[in-house]
Amino acid sequence: MSSNAIALPGQDLGGEPSNTVGAGTHIYGDHLFASIAGPVHTTTPNPPSKTPSIVSITRPTAALLLPEVGTTVLGRVTRTNARQANFAILALGSTGDVVLAEPLPAIIRQQDIRLTEIDKVTVAGSFRVGDVVRAVVISLGDERAYFASTARDELGVVMAVSEGGNRMVPISWREFEEVGGRGRKRRGRSLRLFECARVKAIQQC
Amino acid sequence: MQTDRRRLNAPPGGTTPPVFAAPPDTKLHRPTRTRKPDEHRKLFLRTGIVPSASGSAYYEIPPQEPQPTALLVPQRSSLKITCTVHGPRPLPRNAAFSPNLLLSAHVKFAPFATQNRRGYVRDASERDLGAHLETALRGVVIGERFPKSGCEVVLTILEGEEDGWGAGGAEIKGGGGGIMTVLAGCITAASAALVDAGIDCVDLISGGVAAVKDAGKHGGQEDAVVVLDPAPSEHDGEITAACVVGYLQSRDEVTEMWMKGDAGAQVQTLIDEAVKAASLVRAVLAEAVKDGVQAKIDEAEDDAAMTGSAKEGKGKSKEVVMTG
Repeated sequence: MSSNAIALPGQDLGGEPSNTVGAGTHIYGDHLFASIAGPVHTTTPNPPSKTPSIVSITRPTAALLLPEVGTTVLGRVTRTNARQANFAILALGSTGDVVLAEPLPAIIRQQDIRLTEIDKVTVAGSFRVGDVVRAVVISLGDERAYFASTARDELGVVMAVSEGGNRMVPISWREFEEVGGRGRKRRGRSLRLFECARVKAIQQC
Repeated sequence: MQTDRRRLNAPPGGTTPPVFAAPPDTKLHRPTRTRKPDEHRKLFLRTGIVPSASGSAYYEIPPQEPQPTALLVPQRSSLKITCTVHGPRPLPRNAAFSPNLLLSAHVKFAPFATQNRRGYVRDASERDLGAHLETALRGVVIGERFPKSGCEVVLTILEGEEDGWGAGGAEIKGGGGGIMTVLAGCITAASAALVDAGIDCVDLISGGVAAVKDAGKHGGQEDAVVVLDPAPSEHDGEITAACVVGYLQSRDEVTEMWMKGDAGAQVQTLIDEAVKAASLVRAVLAEAVKDGVQAKIDEAEDDAAMTGSAKEGKGKSKEVVMTG
């Protein structure tokens, strides 16, 4: 598929002014060097030669090892209280592309659950323990947990299970309905999109 | 050594295998170094051997020549090291916030690794090896890209080189040089495993060892020869000083140096030879890492091709109508 040359850590990738550092590279002196072993990708911008081209290296197995600020993550809610919901990050990427070997603890604060009317939102009415949520990491947080937010259209509860153990599907941006059961509705901060998200890795957890 | 109270231990004092007396008409030939002073033994290195770990590597220096079958004790020892890297993974709950990666290195000889059986609990020499290895790796890993995380490098030495040659009941003169070749191997194996785990490193670090060999009969420091990659069984009792370095070739930097003995006026030569040994090892390391990465890329492409064909086969799932 890709015939890009494989670079090894410490390999010289080019001079500084004409190339800028991308993922998997570092600067030493005025040259770019590789930090990981993998295929090298050079993205050259439009012909104006003033903007430098970005040299990056992708890992062969996973793009990221840890979430950074701005990474979309998938996780399962472990605990809720009046001010925040604790969840365990299980996979990185909006469709769970990179499954983590060990879950990372994270927190969604009450004011980060949605964009509008944030003082009227209740954590208990938005999340329940066991729900799978898609959130975006907004901060590395403290030593205990990352901070995440679901205040965007495509974020929120992705999968939920009813009290009877049946799967629930989103029927509006704030409600879930039990499939095949008595049609009991439960409020929950859900996706605004009309298609259900495909979550391949989480179903195995 | 502390007693290990959690297990049923072997009798103290070691359980050495029986030493067989040589038949009266066979002559015991001590192995001697047949390669040049600046020639390294052939290495074997492969990454990606432990699927459940983030990264792994296996390093071996096999016996270079076939063993003569007259004796039951191996003529030439070999070195076998396996390394696994676990990380980056979250720190324990009560750990303080750390903006950098917290690296910890553990080295352990397997109980069957040396001629005198080792215990299950780490002893002082293993902790010492771990400290030297951590010093070497600390200069290589780019820690600030992995905040709030820890990384554990675990090395198990399956067969460690003896300090001398003890076949047929011959006396081991020792000198403590065996541990230095072990450290050099550990550094190389750990480097391969770290790269296999995808942890950002400044360069590939390789371990090289050199020693000052006493000329013996002639005496005097001028006659001492500096040799690369001393095999303890070949230089039993002849080594007066030895040095291990952890070397970064693209930056020409040394992150770790351990010297034992008195090298006299040849200190600089000794270090230079150790650096040369590390450069020779780096060629093998680079090739092994490249093969490992290529294998991973091929595997990822195969997986992508397989899931692509599986998706087309599935039918459409039932659509859900939104009312809100």
